[in-house]
Amino acid sequence: MLELVDLYRRFGDVVALDGVSFSVGEGRIVGFVGRNGAGKTTAMRIALGVLQADDGTVRWRGVPVDTAARRRFGYMPEERGLYPKMRVLEQLVYLARLRGVAKTQARANAEELLETLEVVGDPGARVESLSLGNQQRVQLAAALVHRPELLVLDEPFAGLDPVGVDVLSGVLRRAAREGAAVVFSSHQLELVERLCDAVVLIDRGRIAAQGTITELRESRARNLWRVRLRDVTSSWWEVIPGVTPVQRDDGVIVLELASSTDPQRLLDVARAAGDVLSFGSVQPSLQELFREVVS
Amino acid sequence: MNDAADRGTWRLIAARDFWVRLRERSFLISTLLNVGVISVLVLVRASGGFGGPPSFDLGVVGGPDVLAVANAAASLGHDGGVSVRVRPYPDRAAADAALRDGSVDAVVTATELYGLESVDGRLQALVQTSAHQAAVDAVFAKHHVPEAQREAASKTDPLQLGALQPAPPDRQSDAGVAFIGVLLLYGQLFGYGLWVATGVIEEKASRIVEMLLSAVRPRQLLAGKIIGIGVLGLAQLITIAGFAIVLALATHAQTVPSTAIWTALLVIGWFILGYAFYASLFAAAGSLVSRMEELQNVIVPINLTILVSFIISIGSLQDPNSTLAIVASILPVSSALAMPVRIVLGAASGWQIALSLALLIGSAVALVPVGARLYAGAVLRTGSRVKLRDAWRAT
Repeated sequence: MLELVDLYRRFGDVVALDGVSFSVGEGRIVGFVGRNGAGKTTAMRIALGVLQADDGTVRWRGVPVDTAARRRFGYMPEERGLYPKMRVLEQLVYLARLRGVAKTQARANAEELLETLEVVGDPGARVESLSLGNQQRVQLAAALVHRPELLVLDEPFAGLDPVGVDVLSGVLRRAAREGAAVVFSSHQLELVERLCDAVVLIDRGRIAAQGTITELRESRARNLWRVRLRDVTSSWWEVIPGVTPVQRDDGVIVLELASSTDPQRLLDVARAAGDVLSFGSVQPSLQELFREVVS
Repeated sequence: MNDAADRGTWRLIAARDFWVRLRERSFLISTLLNVGVISVLVLVRASGGFGGPPSFDLGVVGGPDVLAVANAAASLGHDGGVSVRVRPYPDRAAADAALRDGSVDAVVTATELYGLESVDGRLQALVQTSAHQAAVDAVFAKHHVPEAQREAASKTDPLQLGALQPAPPDRQSDAGVAFIGVLLLYGQLFGYGLWVATGVIEEKASRIVEMLLSAVRPRQLLAGKIIGIGVLGLAQLITIAGFAIVLALATHAQTVPSTAIWTALLVIGWFILGYAFYASLFAAAGSLVSRMEELQNVIVPINLTILVSFIISIGSLQDPNSTLAIVASILPVSSALAMPVRIVLGAASGWQIALSLALLIGSAVALVPVGARLYAGAVLRTGSRVKLRDAWRAT
């Protein structure tokens, strides 16, 4: 498990991280969500040891992270970068060897990854000669080539076409299935919702919310119920205490219930008022949760 | 994944920097250029272009008296190691023409000694002395001075020549070798230092540095780069020096192989020391900027230092014991270029060499962590140029 414990970091007068703590378990995919400048990249860089924290610790499997542990981490920085003039395969082998993988193993890993990631083109070609999409896949291969135990990806989906998104999603799922801890940042919240076991929401250097999507909904979301009645215009819900209308639209009404109010009672009153066409709780999307948290 | 494996990563980095650059076109071009320049210098030297014993061609216009003066000057010159060839001309017009086309260096007549623009001081001394002796002989003959007295008069003992710090007899010749050496050293120090700076910027500009720093520490990355590029510079230097020595011996430009080999070893040794001193400065400078176009701005101070050291060391070929030459050969900012010249010329004393070495090695060792700290503080900051103070404080 990767644990970030109480991280603080300032840049001049700007407080980038103000006591950030969260963890990523092995075999899990965690989405790291927040507005631009919220502190996502800073937190990731500190986890990778690229940047130092002013205070706080990063632990891997219960032990403070050292260089040896970091070599088993895989990283895809937001600022993508490879040696443009170096050949694709040679570059992947080099990056794997920097992390302590033996030469032949590094080569085997690299070749397999180029195939899995469907990188088109000659492995002996210079990186700069590849298309942008292919360069991005090589970048991902560079993060995976040493078979990392922890995978940290900063905006890995940015700029990918729909096929690329599917390939990357598959790769991340496979990495998690094989036991890696995976954490990535993204602004594509539907993707995070679909792919991640848990979400960490950061706002202005502080963790605003974290947990599984269900947990987030339960802790954060308001108790909303959507009711649709045929041809009823009256304010039938007013007989129940603790019910407030949130939104009214044709025959559909969204009502917020106080926690003491039983939804079954609401249904009974609705049925007494007319024909109930639909009745259900409103599940906010991650997008809505996000807006609510950061506003 | 133990500490030993971790310590070895600089070797991987060094190997990459070595091989990648070895395969670059600019490496091939610089090697060929160096070999070309060295060949020209060695061949010019072989044809007596500089260094070697002085020799003059002296035109003569006039009767047997004048010819006798010229011949006397030639024999006097022979005794002093200066070769003077005498070339008689029928008249002044013919002699002047020879002077203009460079066949002779000066012309002597019964009353004059003249050159095209001037007459070399050594030739002047020889001819004037001979002419004076001829005049004295003429006076003796006129007054029928007996042979024995004449001999006695002209056999006055010459003043004993001496020197407080005698220069080695081959200094003139050694200066030629030292010139080639210092030129080569300057090119290597500057060229490979620049390569370190561009290598740092390349990694910063292509943003791969963040990937690299997630796997290795900044100090290892810096050490690997400096060592990889330095070993390449050293290999190129050894190749060029070897080529120069073989060429010099083959063309008889250098008859004393020990001087050439000694110079080559000095150049190689001082390249290692000078490179160690300058490379971390170049790396730190490179890490301050994000684009190649900005490189010139940050390396100007280092460039100027190396250039001024080069100019001083060229000056000390003429006067290796001037105060400037001595000071420059001891201060670590300039000693890598200024000291080897003085050693080749036999002008540097033991304590000067020891002090110079101690200061250069000491400051090179002290600069590595300084350069590494600036590098680590600046290398991840992209965008505008990083201020030295900010880079220093960032870590």
